[in-house]
Amino acid sequence: MDRPVIRFLVFAAAFATAPLGAMAHQLIVFASVDCEDVTVEAKFSNGNAAREGEVRVMDGENTLLTTLSLQEDGTAIIPLETVDHASGLVIEVDTGSHDNYWLLTPDDIARNCRS
Amino acid sequence: MKRYLFTTALAGLIATTPAMAHYGMIIPDDPMISQEDGRSVSLTMSFSHPFELDGMMLERPAAFSVTHEGVTSDLLDRLEDASVMEDQGYTLDYPLERPGTYVFAMEPQPYWEPAEDAFIIHYTKTYVTAFGDDEGWDTELGLKTEIVPLSKPFGLWESNVFQGIVKMDGEPVPYAEVEVEFFNQDTAATAPDELMITQTVKADADGVFTYAPPAHGWWGFAALNTADYTLPQDGEDKAVELGAVIWVHFEEWTGQ
Repeated sequence: MDRPVIRFLVFAAAFATAPLGAMAHQLIVFASVDCEDVTVEAKFSNGNAAREGEVRVMDGENTLLTTLSLQEDGTAIIPLETVDHASGLVIEVDTGSHDNYWLLTPDDIARNCRS
Repeated sequence: MKRYLFTTALAGLIATTPAMAHYGMIIPDDPMISQEDGRSVSLTMSFSHPFELDGMMLERPAAFSVTHEGVTSDLLDRLEDASVMEDQGYTLDYPLERPGTYVFAMEPQPYWEPAEDAFIIHYTKTYVTAFGDDEGWDTELGLKTEIVPLSKPFGLWESNVFQGIVKMDGEPVPYAEVEVEFFNQDTAATAPDELMITQTVKADADGVFTYAPPAHGWWGFAALNTADYTLPQDGEDKAVELGAVIWVHFEEWTGQ
């Protein structure tokens, strides 16, 4: 296993044990990727899209790469070429009252770019 | 108090008892897949007596599918042959592309059961949630017969009640009988009487049944009804038992 992957997994494990907003109307964050973009989706557990919130994009070593805002439909688009994704990406969404994250591993990015 | 320990020595004795309940089974390796768990789920399919861990032949099913976000996909060709409880079964590794509830469903070939002078068809399903999103947990598939969950069919603590509606051709079945059985995976459970292997509850006038398991693990619920058609066997028309089976995992309580 190469070192960027190891670093990413260690960071991911630390993230996974951090306290999260697992409360009523939990925020659900998901990110899919193709060769061009990362598409972030944020919705509440009742199915409603998160209409506003900050998206923070970090690399596998917890370095902040960029921030952007959710669109009204609860999505955000991150062009892959604008971020260094070699060590994976951590996509964190914070609506002010709820927050959650999605981890894109280097394998996630490579697999979806191939397909 | 007499106490039956279901050891190998007693397996032959048990095999001759008519009290054994047949269950179609779809058992995932995890009913709640988080993003840290990975990006796929592994399923094991069988036709078995789950308490005694006694397998039976499961012919390649007539249908096997997954339903997610209202879209049903045929997975029949992706089933891999496997030995389950020392008999023919199947496995499947299924990639989970998006969050939400994935409903896996199996329609087996009619199983001829000479001892009951009838065919058995158990429409079997299991719900798996992916990545923290439980949307779709109450999905009704529109099977010939099925149990539609009223309780979320995952994320239940042991001793929580599970409720469902028994349906046949889309309509509730008043006072349907529902057999309940534990998947005794580690053989730790014993039964003080054969009647305790398969318990039975009845639905109410609206087809709603309720059950609270005493322990964590996989529990199978099978609502059994006789079909409104027959199938030929040895030149005669034979009855068909239709089972609506759902498998539900109850989690171990972590408090005191």
